[in-house]
Amino acid sequence: MRRQEAIEVIMATISPQDAVVSTTGLISREIFERFDSDRNVYVPGSMGLASSIGLGLAIARSTKRVVVIDGDASLLMNLGSIVTIGNKQPANLLHIVIDNGAYGSCNEERSMSDTARLDKLVLDVGYQYVRTVSNQEDLKHATMEFERGPGFILAKIELGGRRDFRRPLELSAIKNRFMLFLKQSTKGEQL
Amino acid sequence: MNAGDKTVFNALVDEHSEKADRMHQLFLELGVDFASGVPCGVLRHIIKNFDDDATVLHVPANRESEAVGLAAGAYFGGKIPVVYMQNSGLFAASNDIASLLVPYEIPVFFVVSYRGCGDEDAAQHLTTGGATEALLQSFGLPFVVFGGQNLETLITSMFEEMRKRGLPAFLLLKRGWHR
Repeated sequence: MRRQEAIEVIMATISPQDAVVSTTGLISREIFERFDSDRNVYVPGSMGLASSIGLGLAIARSTKRVVVIDGDASLLMNLGSIVTIGNKQPANLLHIVIDNGAYGSCNEERSMSDTARLDKLVLDVGYQYVRTVSNQEDLKHATMEFERGPGFILAKIELGGRRDFRRPLELSAIKNRFMLFLKQSTKGEQL
Repeated sequence: MNAGDKTVFNALVDEHSEKADRMHQLFLELGVDFASGVPCGVLRHIIKNFDDDATVLHVPANRESEAVGLAAGAYFGGKIPVVYMQNSGLFAASNDIASLLVPYEIPVFFVVSYRGCGDEDAAQHLTTGGATEALLQSFGLPFVVFGGQNLETLITSMFEEMRKRGLPAFLLLKRGWHR
């Protein structure tokens, strides 16, 4: 599976009502260029914090499903976050890690995800739903079958892929429309 | 831990701060309903008040960067966050403040204990202590060193400024501030 295919499957399978928080580098840039939407927020700086931002949002809006699209190196940069997620048990949080075993947005320098056993770690710290997938069909099913979190999908992909995406630059405007999306879509929900 | 240490520890916990209670009441009046951070002994009264108040969602973090991310996510979801940490952690989280909160214009109120200044003797705090105000100045971010000002006026005006500019604001508290 390639990064492009993994992102396509995730964005086509989750509900349009789900909020998406995507990590630094090519993952956010690809989602921004190909699947930009009010329900997305990108984390172009502060590498590692996508899962923390997703957790803060999931706790603040416990009836809104939050999908974090993380990378292996960015999760490893803020690995304590999985402990916080396991501790807080947000049922509405799905944490997907697109794992190419490298700092793919730099020069594909190796990360340590090959020995990290991320799927075992998240189970040990209390995630309720854990799947490891390496093709589009399994990724689609793992995403569809997610019901109660915290959930974790480790999506293994190949290195490489397109790099010439635009960057999200108007971050304040992205924030405003994201907050409006959250406000409107939680109307009438039990908060 | 010997009995002596335990006594000291308990004394810290039991101590009460009227200033911290007033600060907490002001936070509530200003709408604060989310808190995250990493503890410092200087901030213990503030943290305990967050812990004891069911109207504030308190999500402690393992690192200061994590607290910045949690606060940003909570803010997106409509919460009004406060983040607490020691100034050593301010340096650890400085890129996250600069590259997440500033460009996204996320107003987060930071309560930061100010170690390594004045009569401080702990060697590990001296370099960051000497650079704390310079760090915030170089980022162009508003901060106040608490020196016994009227808390109501100070915190209300800091929140107003923070909301107007869409930037985080920092209240620096030295040891003994709470007396």
